[in-house]
Amino acid sequence: MRNIRRAFRITILVILALWLHYVLPHRDVARVTSTEVVRTDLSGLNRIFFAQTDTGNAESLSRDLRFINSQRKRTYLFGLIRGGNQTMVYRNEDTGWIYPPYFKFDSADLQAEAGAAISTEAPYDWVVITHYGWRINWLSIYPNAVSIRPAPGEDFRPVPWSNIVIYVLMLAGVLFVRAMWRQFRERTLDPLAESAEDRIDHVQADFAERRGRLRRWWDRLRGK
Amino acid sequence: MNFVRLVIFGFLVLTVVYVCVSLYSRSVRREKLEAEWEETRPEGIHRDAFVKEGMKEYEASLRRRLILLVYVIPPILVGAIILVVN
Repeated sequence: MRNIRRAFRITILVILALWLHYVLPHRDVARVTSTEVVRTDLSGLNRIFFAQTDTGNAESLSRDLRFINSQRKRTYLFGLIRGGNQTMVYRNEDTGWIYPPYFKFDSADLQAEAGAAISTEAPYDWVVITHYGWRINWLSIYPNAVSIRPAPGEDFRPVPWSNIVIYVLMLAGVLFVRAMWRQFRERTLDPLAESAEDRIDHVQADFAERRGRLRRWWDRLRGK
Repeated sequence: MNFVRLVIFGFLVLTVVYVCVSLYSRSVRREKLEAEWEETRPEGIHRDAFVKEGMKEYEASLRRRLILLVYVIPPILVGAIILVVN
């Protein structure tokens, strides 16, 4: 039973960690090599890894997806260790109003910015591409680029301020909920349980007394 | 349409948060008042009356109204994200 509970807890934690890794913004230092638009039919398998059509348009089964092809600096261990270059393809979609809450409506503008940032001859113009999501080849899913801004240089290492703020807020939220739960238990649940216990005690005492009376009556009847 | 959905569900979620936070805040205040009475033992004031008086004060306080910020901060946050991202 304890092992089952532990496995359940670990599964939940892993899912939460994966979800956060998918949804939170990451920054890549990259150079844009080209941009393109590809008509795509999404399947049930990879549909959840894509957003919807541009905000304000009608939803349809197949649509054009904007892509940004790039060469980025490979990173390991959440960006702590830098590697060589790696090709990376970003999609560029509106996230709209709902999920994930980036409220991005300017994918067309971003595509224009990416086009303006194309750099194929040395010295390269490096840019910081903020994105969320994963590149998984066998599912044909791509990270969604959220913004592009010029990088000071090839070796620039962006500090993930937004993630730090989000994690701190989440921690504060968890602590607050815990405090609320403790207060609720101490002030509401425990007194309730106590009064219920009290009542059970009363009932039991009552029952014992009645049984005693019955016993006495029975004893008297038998002439003891 | 999605915007309407966001507003409606956001409002529902924030209402749940608001109710929870205000219940919590009230409970903490009541506990503090009880502790204060235990400590000072004011002459001639019953414990329940003391707590009741204190809670009446709390109901009118600015601190209680500040919980309404639960409804104010998230829309500001959303606005800020929209400004930064787009």
